[in-house]
Amino acid sequence: MNHKNPKIICITGGKGGTGKTLCAVNLAVMFKNEGNKVLLIDGDVENPNTYLLLNGKLENKKDVPFFKPKIIEDKCSKCGLCSQNCLSNALLHVKDAFPIPMLTLCSGCQLCYKICPENAIEADSKTIGWIYSTNVNGLSLLLGELKPSEARSAAIVEALLEKIEDIIEKEPNKFDIIILDTAPGAHCDVELLIADADIVIPITEPTKFGKLDLIRIMELIKLLGKESRVIVNRSSLLGFREQFLNELKRESIEILGDIPLDSDIVESYCQGTPIMEKNSKFNREGVGYIAFTKIYDNLKKWLEIPT
Amino acid sequence: MERKIVGIVSGKGGVGKTSLTASLASLAQMDMKTQVIVMDCDVDAPNLAIILPALNEANIKKEDTYATRKAKFLEDQCINCKKCIDDHFCEFNALKWDDQNLIPIIDFLKCEGCGSCKVLCPEHAFEINTVKSGEIVSYKSKMGFPLIYGKTQLGSTTSGKLVSDVKEYLNDSKEFNNSNLILIDGPPGIGCPVIATVSNLDYVITISEPTPSGLHDLIRVIEVIQHFGIPFGLIINKSDLKSPFLEEFKAFITDTGYKKLGDIPFDLSIPKAMSYAEPVVQFAPDSKASIAIRNIYENLKKILWNSHY
Repeated sequence: MNHKNPKIICITGGKGGTGKTLCAVNLAVMFKNEGNKVLLIDGDVENPNTYLLLNGKLENKKDVPFFKPKIIEDKCSKCGLCSQNCLSNALLHVKDAFPIPMLTLCSGCQLCYKICPENAIEADSKTIGWIYSTNVNGLSLLLGELKPSEARSAAIVEALLEKIEDIIEKEPNKFDIIILDTAPGAHCDVELLIADADIVIPITEPTKFGKLDLIRIMELIKLLGKESRVIVNRSSLLGFREQFLNELKRESIEILGDIPLDSDIVESYCQGTPIMEKNSKFNREGVGYIAFTKIYDNLKKWLEIPT
Repeated sequence: MERKIVGIVSGKGGVGKTSLTASLASLAQMDMKTQVIVMDCDVDAPNLAIILPALNEANIKKEDTYATRKAKFLEDQCINCKKCIDDHFCEFNALKWDDQNLIPIIDFLKCEGCGSCKVLCPEHAFEINTVKSGEIVSYKSKMGFPLIYGKTQLGSTTSGKLVSDVKEYLNDSKEFNNSNLILIDGPPGIGCPVIATVSNLDYVITISEPTPSGLHDLIRVIEVIQHFGIPFGLIINKSDLKSPFLEEFKAFITDTGYKKLGDIPFDLSIPKAMSYAEPVVQFAPDSKASIAIRNIYENLKKILWNSHY
């Protein structure tokens, strides 16, 4: 491929369980099969599942630290300035007592640490999750994981984005393609990843829920000024394919392709061998296999990559 | 009977939370002993209202919420000193420097409204305002019970706070006082909105499907539920899925000894019911799925009100 920076493709969808990870993994595998250097990013940090679909191992675990205010009682004058300025109400202060940090409410803004006139607050840290990097059959995988019971998932996504930025800056030719897999929903974790991408592929399914959530995520994609084309997964469900595709067309939503129900896909999903992997045992005439091949061709045309 | 608040979560998305909530709501409505209120706390993608629509437009109440704060730049105050950038006021990287106009630009998406820029800028060139974070919609449903849901404003950063606001809404009105069962459709994931959903519940129902991802995400959400010490029971959806993983999944559940509320077999009645926007227990009461869900509802009642029921 002769474009300079890696192309960043974001896979998202609004509704959960529509096949985001399935598509992200198989698109990554198809790009890799053709000799591209591919980095797959699992940005669904609440529930990162890409490695399960690839039968990969989580390796090179790195902590993601998060700011934690530590009160140095010897220095603290109990003035309460930190508490007054904390809009998250994460520092409890009663008159003539030391402030008490309420860590679950803390946004990590560090304002308390910066403004304490006595330097009585130290910037300590706690681990709120991890980033793993690994290589599965020639595919590079970077995965973020939020520690259960921690709330600040966006900080893990930010850590992933910093890592991508770092890679692109230091080794701009290390990867040809970067694929981002997002969480369901339209919250900050998803926004951050869409905002970082060149193009966006929302995955939906031909149900009322699928359509409603798709329209919502399309609004967000538009708000962020990104180009998008949709994949309709399970398109043969209950015979709604034509009707659903027409409805999307009426909403002026562009379609990259559709994937019918396919038992090979279910099996590959459960076994952790991507259906599109070069030497997979799956039938090359199967409906799922053919659908992915078509989608991949359309994607390359969209990216103006010669086939 | 004592009032019980029950949440439905899954970890993984798209495994049947909303379909199940709608069916349980429908069964509770038909049950003479329960007065039910239904809530949708999947504020990023609230879908329950599609299956449980309002009785009429006239009784739909909407209320904007302002739980989000954002910084605003006051250009008149700025003396272009660039201190905000050089001294790294913003830990969320929401301040960028505009080299042409020599002023900071606020990245609205990244701004958490923490107030650091406002406090630290010596020229007072920033202020913090509350902005619309979403809306809370409430109405009497066609079936008769009240339904309350939240919906985030796109680009706002506070899904968890909106979830808490939706739950708070229960305490706002006397009309909700005589209910004894509150069913909450939860968001996917394990982060902030899920934590806000499950905190202070009486019981949590987890629904999952027998795939590696389904199990992986179930284990993670159980970790969160256990962190808050809330009792919970499991439901396996698509429990007869032709999955090479099925045995492994069942063995996990047996080994942990977690309470099981029941299985829901794969049944096309469920997507069919959804395409007609009806709870499956109404659309196809004799289907395999409906029988299974009625069974789950009975189990749930025994757990919630054992001796009194």
